[in-house]
Amino acid sequence: MTAEVRKYKIGLIIDDKRYEAIKGTPLEQKIERMFGGYIRLLTLEVDEETARHVLKEFPSGRIDARGFLEDLPVAFKRALFEAVVKTKSLGKEAIDEVFKKIDEIKAAAEKEKEYVPPPA
Amino acid sequence: MPRVPEVYYAGEIPPHGGGTLVYNVIDNIDKARQYWEIKTRIEIKPTLDPKGVPVRNVYREVMSIAYGFFTPLEGFMTQNEVESVLKERRLLSGWLFPYPIVFDVTEEEWKASGAKVGDEVLLTLKGKPLAVIKVEEFYKLPEDKKAFADAVFGTPERNKEVVRVPFDEKMPGWLIYRCLKSHAIAGRVWVVNPPKFREPYVRFWIPPAQSRAYIKAKGWRFVVAHQTRNVPHVGHEMLMRRALFVAGIGERPADAVLVNAIIGAKRRGDYVDEAILEGHEALSRGGGYYFHADRHIVTMTLWDMRYGNPLESILHGIIRQNMGCTHHMFGRDHAAVGDYYDPYATQYLWTRGLPSYGINEPPHLTDKGLKIRPVHMGELAFCPKCGEWTYLGIPLDVPEVKQLPLCGHKPERISGSFLRGLIIEGIKPPSVIMRPEVHDVIVKWWKVYGYPYVTDKYLKLKEEQLEVELP
Repeated sequence: MTAEVRKYKIGLIIDDKRYEAIKGTPLEQKIERMFGGYIRLLTLEVDEETARHVLKEFPSGRIDARGFLEDLPVAFKRALFEAVVKTKSLGKEAIDEVFKKIDEIKAAAEKEKEYVPPPA
Repeated sequence: MPRVPEVYYAGEIPPHGGGTLVYNVIDNIDKARQYWEIKTRIEIKPTLDPKGVPVRNVYREVMSIAYGFFTPLEGFMTQNEVESVLKERRLLSGWLFPYPIVFDVTEEEWKASGAKVGDEVLLTLKGKPLAVIKVEEFYKLPEDKKAFADAVFGTPERNKEVVRVPFDEKMPGWLIYRCLKSHAIAGRVWVVNPPKFREPYVRFWIPPAQSRAYIKAKGWRFVVAHQTRNVPHVGHEMLMRRALFVAGIGERPADAVLVNAIIGAKRRGDYVDEAILEGHEALSRGGGYYFHADRHIVTMTLWDMRYGNPLESILHGIIRQNMGCTHHMFGRDHAAVGDYYDPYATQYLWTRGLPSYGINEPPHLTDKGLKIRPVHMGELAFCPKCGEWTYLGIPLDVPEVKQLPLCGHKPERISGSFLRGLIIEGIKPPSVIMRPEVHDVIVKWWKVYGYPYVTDKYLKLKEEQLEVELP
């Protein structure tokens, strides 16, 4: 009997700006709509090892009741979206791309720990 | 045999402990001033985490004791009382109480004060008189603070019913007990310089005696308490609405919801206190009228949250019973952080008790327990097809059925952390998730602190300013 492989998810909110970046690409087809269509989301599925790695790099993060990795820095989410666009993937390629720049992302995350500009 | 709970009306429900409401506050300023001259003094200092960040200020406990929120507790616990609480979650009088409440000091602080057992010691806050403690005992807290913190919250081995993962430094309540100083002073406390609350706290400071008077003046017969450490999303609002219908006893649904926010040091990532209070207020006043102001009141309790899920629920029951509420809402992951406890640990306690903690019956069915009644709330989720919030279903005792939604569609769960992620990315949540007036409050305080959630900077600033000013 094989042990069940636990999967976790990372959600990327697709606002209008991000939507423009993926419009017309295969990624657009993967957008899920939530809450009656008000929220657009791209979801990456990650294995337990990757989830642990992300949480180790960003200790503020946690796994919520839905199995999503949440409370991750905005800098990480931004870099992940850029990686998704670059690799045109919601898989391991995108995550690997993010980890190439992890120190840079951590430095940006450190800065946003105390200040993030509020909406106008 | 478990007793059948009696029916009490709001505002008339007896305070916890079977006696009268504690009110250890000397309001007469001339009388109070006599205590300000006491030479034996101890300055109240914050509890710091290993990084030096304040995670608690015991002044909040002084206030909650003196103004009656923790009735029948009149002061800080003796060593015997701490042991009794850890053994069976009961005070020496036998009344249920979940946590050791200790005034911790270093041996140096004690010696420097020159205090002795039997003395009245002036407790100063930011250098000004706040309260007096009549020293009943000075004792050493356990050397091994990690073991002490584990004794407070439990371990997966000892408390199999509800503890899933060993507690650690990421659990703020555990960290508070882990970081206590070496010794403790026990004794009754009085506030001898009633502080003035800062804005916006002043609007929400409605201690038990006042809360009971307010409830009676409104004519509310059944009042359901809503515990919060969160800015409300629409899911919370729907839970409150549903709780009103469940909470009545026989004759009619409940009349009102009393929201009681826990104000104090919180875990990083929680909303700032000011936004929590004003966010709830926005549901019935100041723009949003999602609740009629005659059916909804927002109040606060000073307490540095311990995030102890079932244990915290007992304290919540005590506080809100003392405030005059007849019912208390308990939802999934009540007052929890991380996955240390079973998400339904509080429901377990209030339906079966927690024998591994020495609580053999549900808190409202045990002798010297609580009179407030639980209202168990399952999880709600938004169903896009139904266009409304619907019941997601408490996990059934059938392993393969984890959840069973009320409707036959696919309701979408909302998590607080998902919502926080949305907000911090600058996206205004749709109104089916969060009322625009509530989001406006979050942004208002975001502009003040540069961040919408608790950070180390916020905790330090909060410790500098506190919620009060002393005359």
